[in-house]
Amino acid sequence: MFKKLLSMIVVATMVLSLAACGTKKEATTETTATETTATDAVATEAPAAEQTTKGIPMEDFKVGVIHIGDPADGAGYTFAHDQGIVAMQAALGLSDDQVIRKNNVNDTDAVAIRTAIEECIEEGADIIFGTSWGYMDTMEQLAAEYPDVVFSHASGYKSNGTNFNNYFGRIYQARYLAGIAAGMKTQSDMIGFVAAMGIDNSEVTGGINAFAMGVESVNPDAKVYVKVTNTWFDPTLEGQAAEALLDLGCDVIAQHADTTAPQMAAQNRGVWGCGYNSDMTKDAPSAHLTAPIWNWGVYYTMAAKAVLEGTWTGENYYGGMAEGLVDISPLSANCAEGTQEAIDAAKQKIIGGFKIFEGDLYDNQGNQVCKAGEFISDADITGAMNWYYKTVEVK
Amino acid sequence: MSNSEDKIKREPLLRVAKKAEISVSKTMGLTLLALALAIVAGGIFLLVIGQNPFKVYGTIVHGAWRSKLAIQGTIKIAIPLLIASLGITLAFQMKFWNIGAEGQIIMGGIFASYFALFFDQLPHTILLLIMFLAGMVGGGLWGLIPAYFKTKFGTNETLFTLMLNYIALYTIKFLTEGPWHDPESSGFPKIASFTPNARLDKIFGVHAGWLIGLILVLVVYIYIRFTKHGYEISVVGESVNTARYAGMNVKKIMMRTMFLSGAICGIAGMTQVSGAAYTLGEGVAGGVGFTAITVAWLSKLNPVVILIVTVLFSMLEKGCSVMQSAFGLSAATSGILQGIILFFVLAFDFFTRYRFILRKGRKA
Amino acid sequence: MENMKNETMAIELRKITKTFGSVVANNNIDLSVKQGEILALLGENGSGKTTLMNMLSGIYKPDHGTILMNGHTVTINSPEDSIKLGVGMIHQHFKLVEALSATDNIILGGTEKGIFLHKRRSEKIREISKRFGLEVDPEKKVYQMSVSEKQTVEILKVLYRKADILILDEPTAVLTPQETKRLFEILRRMKQEGCAVIIITHKLNEVLDISDRVTILRKGESVATVTTSHTSAKELTELMVGRPVELSINHPVTNFNENLLELHHLTVSNEQGYEMIKDISFDLNRGEILGVAGVAGSGQKELCEAIAGLLPVKKGAILYHNENLVGKSPKEIIKMGISMSFIPEDRLGMGLAASMGMVDNMLLKKYNEGNSPFVSKKEARELAKRLVKQLDIVTPNVDTPVRRLSGGNVQKVLLGREIASEPNVIITAYAVRGLDINSSYTIYDLLNEQKQKGVGILFIGEDLDVMLELCDRIMVLCHGKVTGIVDAKTTTKEQLGLLMTDALAGKEESHE
Repeated sequence: MFKKLLSMIVVATMVLSLAACGTKKEATTETTATETTATDAVATEAPAAEQTTKGIPMEDFKVGVIHIGDPADGAGYTFAHDQGIVAMQAALGLSDDQVIRKNNVNDTDAVAIRTAIEECIEEGADIIFGTSWGYMDTMEQLAAEYPDVVFSHASGYKSNGTNFNNYFGRIYQARYLAGIAAGMKTQSDMIGFVAAMGIDNSEVTGGINAFAMGVESVNPDAKVYVKVTNTWFDPTLEGQAAEALLDLGCDVIAQHADTTAPQMAAQNRGVWGCGYNSDMTKDAPSAHLTAPIWNWGVYYTMAAKAVLEGTWTGENYYGGMAEGLVDISPLSANCAEGTQEAIDAAKQKIIGGFKIFEGDLYDNQGNQVCKAGEFISDADITGAMNWYYKTVEVK
Repeated sequence: MSNSEDKIKREPLLRVAKKAEISVSKTMGLTLLALALAIVAGGIFLLVIGQNPFKVYGTIVHGAWRSKLAIQGTIKIAIPLLIASLGITLAFQMKFWNIGAEGQIIMGGIFASYFALFFDQLPHTILLLIMFLAGMVGGGLWGLIPAYFKTKFGTNETLFTLMLNYIALYTIKFLTEGPWHDPESSGFPKIASFTPNARLDKIFGVHAGWLIGLILVLVVYIYIRFTKHGYEISVVGESVNTARYAGMNVKKIMMRTMFLSGAICGIAGMTQVSGAAYTLGEGVAGGVGFTAITVAWLSKLNPVVILIVTVLFSMLEKGCSVMQSAFGLSAATSGILQGIILFFVLAFDFFTRYRFILRKGRKA
Repeated sequence: MENMKNETMAIELRKITKTFGSVVANNNIDLSVKQGEILALLGENGSGKTTLMNMLSGIYKPDHGTILMNGHTVTINSPEDSIKLGVGMIHQHFKLVEALSATDNIILGGTEKGIFLHKRRSEKIREISKRFGLEVDPEKKVYQMSVSEKQTVEILKVLYRKADILILDEPTAVLTPQETKRLFEILRRMKQEGCAVIIITHKLNEVLDISDRVTILRKGESVATVTTSHTSAKELTELMVGRPVELSINHPVTNFNENLLELHHLTVSNEQGYEMIKDISFDLNRGEILGVAGVAGSGQKELCEAIAGLLPVKKGAILYHNENLVGKSPKEIIKMGISMSFIPEDRLGMGLAASMGMVDNMLLKKYNEGNSPFVSKKEARELAKRLVKQLDIVTPNVDTPVRRLSGGNVQKVLLGREIASEPNVIITAYAVRGLDINSSYTIYDLLNEQKQKGVGILFIGEDLDVMLELCDRIMVLCHGKVTGIVDAKTTTKEQLGLLMTDALAGKEESHE
């Protein structure tokens, strides 16, 4: 019995580990596509501030990254960030052991976060990227404890001006473009939006507003219906929210949610959708139009290079389409005719300085939120966008 | 044999038989053998997945001790495990199967956090002292509830303590999303970080929990071995009837001991929130309450042995974590390796008590 | 043994060895029974009788040796195999379903083919009862039966399964003398029908009464097999113990004439709420051993626990020097000098902590003395050492867990501690249960010594012969009531037996 048990364990472990190896390989091969664009974008980026730290010898340089999920997932938030790390590694020519990944670090478990980050420090990391919102407080504390290490945190709002900054991007610009694709595709003029968080979360709300404005720019009759799941990651809830929106009569499902479940739901009904984070055309080939995507490599390469060369300034980073940080995935064949042209035009406009949240804007309660000739500040976009655009309705 | 009737079955291939009680040195030998076997089996597993076992093992051991920071990391893992194991020991000594250490740690953390969050203007020492006591009370109450119900209604403590774990966990969830929600977190469910005033001081680079743990080793050792309370616990654990016969108030002893058991686990919760996390989150116990059961059991409820076993466990965990990132292995792989090693060490416990008898060749 | 060679043996055991860990329970044991023969297996507790028989009934497997049945080698892997081979075992503790009738219990676990119960089952049972003289009402539920009836059902059960080899493990331990007689008649009938019967016992007079041959085990070895008609109680005892033994118990006479303990109309319920002691009254004097006799489960346990304060008293009073003990905690009662050494079936369940050493066990009732939060072990250690010397307790050292000691030594530790606390009342239940003859006599001497000092002793016992010799008076309990308190000098075993059954009690009740 004993031997049998042991052999069962061994077999089980073999199967598991083989599966793990398989997915890992897949992940690395897929990377190459984004790498080139990422490095190109960085080349144009000029470090804006003066030198505060001395450079680090190339061979001693190490980068740590704390992921909430596992890059081997192959799609979604963590995958997108890790693609950026892979691009950064290629751009700087770092070897594999110069990148320390800590995967599946629960962002509600402060002890686990601290342990993971301290292990990166132990390994000699010079800069550590934390990709999830919940890492913020712990990173802030550790930045004070380890002044020689740079802590860079995604999506939060805290920073200390020296070795702890936050970085994020104008993903709303990409959502505006996705809105154009959705607005041109819809026939029922009802577009669904699966939102991770409610009106209090500026990141989500701003994204919805930009999306709705994109829809409106090509289809003034269409309305955007929002369903909130209150979770960043839950395939079941996200799928259920999409179903509810489809039952309302929506024929395009957009999302600010981590999984492909909403797109799958749309495909099952024979209608369309806009994904998020990565090109979801491969997941829902007959439904997906385009997805707002991140090219995190743009920032990661820039930040790591600054630390490596001693030009790190501690400034916060808020990149957009002009920097190449955000974009949409290539349009699929499902898109309506003329979409490409409309989107290209809008993209040029945005790169040329169109702020999206500018001019005479009203929320869905009828209040004016922006006056003609004015625009909404970055601070408000990231921290105080707690209203829905006039064509948005919450279900 | 030829004329044996067909209704008589053949002897089974393997039989299990009880062993005589074996000596300490033999137990030690078996433990070492188990460890050796574990290392070999783990090595085969590593070979199968294409890793060099020597390198990986080297990394595990080295990873836990390679630098000051690494040692501190190992110690930080050890602190809650040590304290919770000591807490469980009290209950187990009484044969009260407290598998609710997880919940008791959490309640200790919640009670301590209350003062950290809302009374952080108090002087540092006083605040921490209050938090320490609050942690004890929180964990203690969570231990007292199942003891009360057991003495009053004869409920099963195993299920009861297990269920209380979930209530404790969801209490944190409730607090995180509701009353204690950090208003600055823009919708993200979390509780605010403690101000520096409510954080446990560091001694030699690690929060003072390690000192508390070491003191508790001594206190629990003395409590069990030399005090009247400790004697009562042992007798109740031996036989409730004997205890009653000796004039002991079994109900009182049970409740008192479970309060203390929970209170010590609550201390673990307090040191975690104020020393390691600086906030209260769902991960405050993080399975430590369950690992502590294994530690306490493996250590045969001896506080000094618990200290040693805890250090070994923490080394393994720390080393495996380092190994994961050093070799790019998945968390599952390291989990399997830890599982293999534990499996052997726990299985040895069986072999100290039982032996197998192989079927003999039958002679006519 | 030579002349048996040409006869076929129903069972023959050759060189059977069985060990449990380092304990050799059976060592190279030979044994044989013919058809139509009753073999008594005699030996002291722990000599390996039950282990040997458990190997025949498939509960254990021998490490070495061969079992032959009707001349063929057999392997018995499970109780099922054993039943198929025609072996029927009657255990000390009955294995019956209380809520079912005799018939249902008898056919339970039968392996007859088909999904329906056989119509003729009752007929078959009646036929068997008639053939062997087993009187039992087939429709009566087991929980309504007396111990002796239950035993009859057990015997019927194995006969129904066509057993022709019957093993009875201490069958008379739970029976009154009258019931024992009836059982022996049944066994003789079975013998006539050609069954082979093995009866395990340690009571010499029964061996002489019923058996054809006797195999004597001592310390796991078969020391001799003798023909019953050619032997005597003295010879058997010597074989069993290994040396000549004086078989009489001292009976010192005291004259204190002072009342120690008075029980008035005591009624006690057990934890399940059943009344186990019903309105009993008696008193215990200084310098007296008061025996309590009765079939097992007649309320002995509850009586002890009530006096010691462990069970709440429903009605009545327990007066000790005219102070009522009812309502006092066990702790207070201990302080008053009432010492109880109650020894239930497993001896270590109450009174001693099995995995603690002698020293820690000495502390059991005294650990709480003094105001210090710490336990003081110094005196306890001295006491332990003194007891080892005084009572010849065999132990590696005073810290060895008491569960590693032999039964007799455990008993000495327990009684030694109680006596050392210089009590005024000693309550002892089954003080010699499972002890060898030598240890038993040591215990009797210890009790007599206390009696001479003026201690009142409540002696709850099993062996009526012993009680008649040791006790001054004997109180008989039956179904929680006192059916009589008699003078040990003038009473007889038969009279006690009558008091132990409800025959007499029933008459009394009908009078009222």
